Amino acid sequence: MLNRKKPEPVDVIVVGLGANGGTAVKVLAEAGLKVVGFDRGPWLRPLEHYSGDELKFVNRDYMWPDPKMFPRTVRYDENAVAERFPFSPTPQMVGGGTNHWAGWVPRPRESDFMMRSLHGEIEGASLADWPFRYEHLEPYLTKVEWAFGVSGIAGADKYEPYRSKGYPSPPLRPTQYGKRFYDACNKMGINAFPIPHAMVTNKHNGRDPFNQTSFWNQYGDPSGARSNTLTSFIPEAVATGNLEVRAECFVQSVKLGHDGKATGVVYIDPDGNEVEQDARVVILTLGAIESARLMLMSKSPRFPDGLANGSGLVGKNATFHEYLFAVGLFDKDIDEPLNGFAGNYISGGSLEFYETDENRGHIGGSIISASQTCHPINWVFPGRPSWGEALKDADRNYYNYAMKIGLILHDLPVESNRVDLDPTVKDAFGRPVARITHSPHRNDIAMGKWQVDKNVEILEAAGARKTVPVYLDKMTGNTCHQHGTARMGTDPAKSVLNEWGQAHEVDNLFVLDGSGFPTATGVNPTLTMMANAWRCSEYIAQVYSKGREERLILSNTKR
Amino acid sequence: MTLKSEWEIVGAPVDPDTTERLFFTDAEWDTVEAATARIMPTDQDPGAREARVVVFIDRYLSGIDYVYAAADGSGFLKMSGKYADAWRARMDEMQNVYRHGLVRLDELAHSESGRRFADLSDAEADHLLELLSGAPKPGQVTLGTKEPVTTFLQGSFDEGLDFFSALCLHTRQGFYCDPVYGGNKEQMGWKFIGFPGPKSLKDTMDGTYSTAEYFYQGEFEWEDLIPQLKAYRDAGGTL
Ligand SMILES: Cc1cc2nc3c(=O)[nH]c(=O)nc-3n(C[C@H](O)[C@H](O)[C@H](O)COP(=O)(O)OP(=O)(O)OC[C@H]3O[C@@H](n4cnc5c(N)ncnc54)[C@H](O)[C@@H]3O)c2cc1C
Repeated sequence: MLNRKKPEPVDVIVVGLGANGGTAVKVLAEAGLKVVGFDRGPWLRPLEHYSGDELKFVNRDYMWPDPKMFPRTVRYDENAVAERFPFSPTPQMVGGGTNHWAGWVPRPRESDFMMRSLHGEIEGASLADWPFRYEHLEPYLTKVEWAFGVSGIAGADKYEPYRSKGYPSPPLRPTQYGKRFYDACNKMGINAFPIPHAMVTNKHNGRDPFNQTSFWNQYGDPSGARSNTLTSFIPEAVATGNLEVRAECFVQSVKLGHDGKATGVVYIDPDGNEVEQDARVVILTLGAIESARLMLMSKSPRFPDGLANGSGLVGKNATFHEYLFAVGLFDKDIDEPLNGFAGNYISGGSLEFYETDENRGHIGGSIISASQTCHPINWVFPGRPSWGEALKDADRNYYNYAMKIGLILHDLPVESNRVDLDPTVKDAFGRPVARITHSPHRNDIAMGKWQVDKNVEILEAAGARKTVPVYLDKMTGNTCHQHGTARMGTDPAKSVLNEWGQAHEVDNLFVLDGSGFPTATGVNPTLTMMANAWRCSEYIAQVYSKGREERLILSNTKR
Repeated sequence: MTLKSEWEIVGAPVDPDTTERLFFTDAEWDTVEAATARIMPTDQDPGAREARVVVFIDRYLSGIDYVYAAADGSGFLKMSGKYADAWRARMDEMQNVYRHGLVRLDELAHSESGRRFADLSDAEADHLLELLSGAPKPGQVTLGTKEPVTTFLQGSFDEGLDFFSALCLHTRQGFYCDPVYGGNKEQMGWKFIGFPGPKSLKDTMDGTYSTAEYFYQGEFEWEDLIPQLKAYRDAGGTL
């Protein structure tokens, strides 16, 4: 493969233009830095390329990574041989996971940043505090909510920590199953409220209010109502004239100079040429699995085990938030229809069971929410008969009479749960793929059981005539939330990144996705990730690129 | 190579009434039609046979021309480069799964009854599908129960499935997909289940298609649904 003429160096390279890369390029380009953003996937045009086609989007991977091109492998313990499995896929394209996400954007809680201080040493887990606190992130949570046009109601979540501003748009009307959820929660004394949603319900920043097709989670949104970086942050960055997007360009390694700084990246362009791009700063936002993989693939004499991996921690402590749930079926002859296809995935949720209560037999807790049971081919009913009259009757009787309540499992970090390079399986570019090794911690199983049983109780209070609880036995990566593979911390022996997402060992390398999360939190993570990416990008633009350095001093007090 | 964002739209929606075979032989077509008719049977409502599931599966297996409908349903996307290579390899595998699976199904039929699968009675066909799947025919869903399961994966990509599982999945797909793919003729799958699907994919792109009427229709105040909100506002909370 011929090397094309080497492009001009720039200030900053951002690898991966998903939720976090999209945030980083906006902040950096608006601050006046020259940025090149890479994505290995295409740069689609939602108005032209997206519509409500269940087969295409949910079954045939039009947006999910093609498992033949971008495989991953999984094993549940160290000694097993990993098998190919599409673990935690997000769309590999400009906009990344925000192309077809559900868009729950709850805020994290104060306790999430200090699990170690609150709980001490938990056997078998590697709990750690974050190198910053909720109060450091709050201004950036607000910035993302307002720039993105999040809908919600301030004050409705009884347990929400301090917020400096309300929401830019009001929440969606409840769905039929949402109304059932509110009623059941009120009966049980549970504080239910509309979980903040990344979609505009008012005209906001030139975007039109909401898409009512109900083709939502896992679909692309042709209307622009869903907040995603493809239709908001990235075009805003391009409009500054400071961002160049290079789509369908696969970044295969980060180059290291003699002085121990990153000099740029090597990528494969759409015609198959290997090209080098130099920059003063390199930012990784490939998602925590692929960022770890790229670091592990970027070996050098100084870092024979992978870039910035002197601690040996790159890839370790991975957490994945398995989505667990319970489905309730109702009786068509007696009950009102629930129309589980309708809405925008979630409708009403709660953080009532979020904070630790040792009486439950586990620490930590999770967000819960009532949600769509979706469209006819794939509607969510584990145990749906696979064929025959029973299949036909089940679809006829229950498709519109089912409801689901699910949770985002707050799984504990365990050092041996990790991402490394598969020794045999290669991707379409001939590079070793990410191998995931994971087995749940005892606390994960106990928490999953307790929370799912609680969801069953709520379903029963809502009138369900049959319930199907889904308990945790192993991680499948079905939430597509990825964290921890390059944890942030103050001690370089115990972490990979500092409080600015900057590698302890490579001064001009930043990793600004979920990789840095020392613990998983029990809420959907992307708002927290984007706020952190914003905060760190602001640091890069205003402090680091001006040749200065700043440390955050934490007073490590318990709440 | 053509970038994915520039894939051309070619062809036209599949005609559900076609009898032209692109992949199956005549005999295979009959077997698939008969088998899918046992997976999603006909009763007072139409089943796989009426919805033309066999046309849908035949088009799908014929290569990579019917994998992705264009967003507006006017035709199909012409894949290129590595994306096309990956789908070609996948379709090769799936074609083999079907070819071998169909041979085995007819062999089973012959050894059990001396006839072709397509000529069996419903009960005989069901018995053969039980043999093929290695499990009894699924029983009716019963209310009044709690049936726990372990970790469950949403979505249902077909790569790596055995013949029987692929056939079941493809039957559901052909019964409930957007009609542009050749199945779900006249949206009969959607009508039977009570899913008010869009008239055309295009209607889902520009706001023509709405499901707002399937949201909760009653009057409500947020403060009634959320007692906390009232408490918050009474205490002077604003934002
Ligand atoms: C169906 C679904 C629903 C979800 N719903 C929610 C939700 O409701 N709330 C929530 O908080 N989160 C949700 N998520 C998770 C959310 O999508 C992710 O947390 C988020 O996208 C992560 O952002 P990221 O920037 O780290 O990675 P991504 O958004 O995945 O972006 C990474 C980008 O990097 C690119 N890339 C990877 N490798 C390379 C390479 N070698 N070279 C160049 N580019 C590369 C990829 O193509 C991709 O575009 C959902 C995910 C899915 C799949």
